[in-house]
Amino acid sequence: MVAIVTTVAVLSGLTGFLALLLILAESVVANYGECTIEINKKKKLEVIGGSSLLSLLDEHGIYLASACGGRGSCGYCKCTVLDGGGPVLPTEKPFLSIEEQEADVRLACQIKVKNDIFIKIPEEIFNIQQYKATVQKIIDLTYDIKELHLKLFEPPEINFKAGQYVQLQTPAYEKSRQPVSRAYSISSSPEHNDHIELIIRRVPDGICTTYVFDYLREGDSIEFTGPFGDFYIRETEADMIFVAGGSGKAPIKAMVELLHSQNSRRRMAYLFGARTKKDLYYTELFDEFQKKMQNFTFVPILSNPEEDSEWKGKTGFIPAYLNDYIKDPEKTEAYLCGSPGMIAAVEKKLLELNIPKDKIYYDSFA
Amino acid sequence: MKLTPREKQIQARMQPGAITINGFLGDDERHFHEIISDDRRTLERLGITAQELADKMKYLTDRAFDNYDETMIVEEIYEVSYNTVRGRLICPFMHPGSYRKGEVVVKNLKNNLTVKWTPLSVHMIEVHGFFEGKGSKNRIEPEILYRVLFGN
Repeated sequence: MVAIVTTVAVLSGLTGFLALLLILAESVVANYGECTIEINKKKKLEVIGGSSLLSLLDEHGIYLASACGGRGSCGYCKCTVLDGGGPVLPTEKPFLSIEEQEADVRLACQIKVKNDIFIKIPEEIFNIQQYKATVQKIIDLTYDIKELHLKLFEPPEINFKAGQYVQLQTPAYEKSRQPVSRAYSISSSPEHNDHIELIIRRVPDGICTTYVFDYLREGDSIEFTGPFGDFYIRETEADMIFVAGGSGKAPIKAMVELLHSQNSRRRMAYLFGARTKKDLYYTELFDEFQKKMQNFTFVPILSNPEEDSEWKGKTGFIPAYLNDYIKDPEKTEAYLCGSPGMIAAVEKKLLELNIPKDKIYYDSFA
Repeated sequence: MKLTPREKQIQARMQPGAITINGFLGDDERHFHEIISDDRRTLERLGITAQELADKMKYLTDRAFDNYDETMIVEEIYEVSYNTVRGRLICPFMHPGSYRKGEVVVKNLKNNLTVKWTPLSVHMIEVHGFFEGKGSKNRIEPEILYRVLFGN
């Protein structure tokens, strides 16, 4: 009996000692003290080391894109690390091309700041902020697409380019144990900077869209970060071909609204692809733009119209119609938003029609 | 069954509301190792490996991606379509990378059996031998999958 008690006491003591040793080791080894994050060779942040680069930037109001909350699964939070980031980790490699690795691009969420670190990020990122807004209106556009109107209150205004997106934050709720954020293009014009509009299509079993469709109500508060993205109008005189499918209409709507309010003289055609008539929305709005804008043509195309829908418009697939709307390929820019399949097919056709590859801009769903 | 810390993390990521609203286990109360073992035995009985199934699934998934969201016939046996859904999913087994959310639908025209999968399903079958728990919305029954991919 004495031997058993002694053994238990010794083992307990040993376990306690090892636990204490681990705590001490953690405080000594993992205490990286004060570190500096130097950004673009001009801005310095003094931080306490030990956390991820992404979270430390976040704490200082510098928001890199991230859809997974720093779990290393979305690959959005890329930045260039000039020095101090250590070797590329296996968790980063699936998201980095060979070219990116050679150019010192890293995932900020995977880099633990242990010493001074020198990074480079696009200047536009300094414009990205966290916003709080009130849900002013929720409008059903189709059976599975809603439009949200968000009135900003903190800060009260946002500066963005037509075509950019924000990351809407869904709080933890009945069906999700943790907050998640998802990217949605802004569908309103940047000229109205006290609010934004988003077009959201229901994703079956999607955590964020289920929240928006089944839980979010007018009058609720919601948060988002932004603006993000390099899908925006290039300020040239070139003709423009817009192509979208599904909820890909959002950034194109923002672009056309802006061009309309600027009285743009650029020649524009907008080809929108949907399967059936019930998948169409904003048709009247774009018909109105067509009446008001001398150089704007709107072309809805259905790939699978119901026999009884009395559809009199174009049928089939967008690539078949592109040639009808391109006058001078060398002086044409294309703006595409939709599924990867649609974008690949349209891009292939545009290249065949001699649109320069560097004038094809797109925002892919995947 | 005693779980290692890593297994606890995986089990947590398979619960509803972690990665997807409905999770990966359905109403199956077995440990995911047991689900994988039971399905492996089914594959052994059928004389096929998870890798062979995954190879065929990847081939048909690529055809579906190429085909601009419309139905196509592959090799005169398979009717293949892809439903685009915006976004990507991560692997509950904490494998790096992310997978398109869309759904591939394949019908074997010879026996009229149909299965649906996501690119994440293909990864989980290939790398982890995991077909999801019974009652899970995205569970793929190995035998039905086999009959769709290789059946007459």
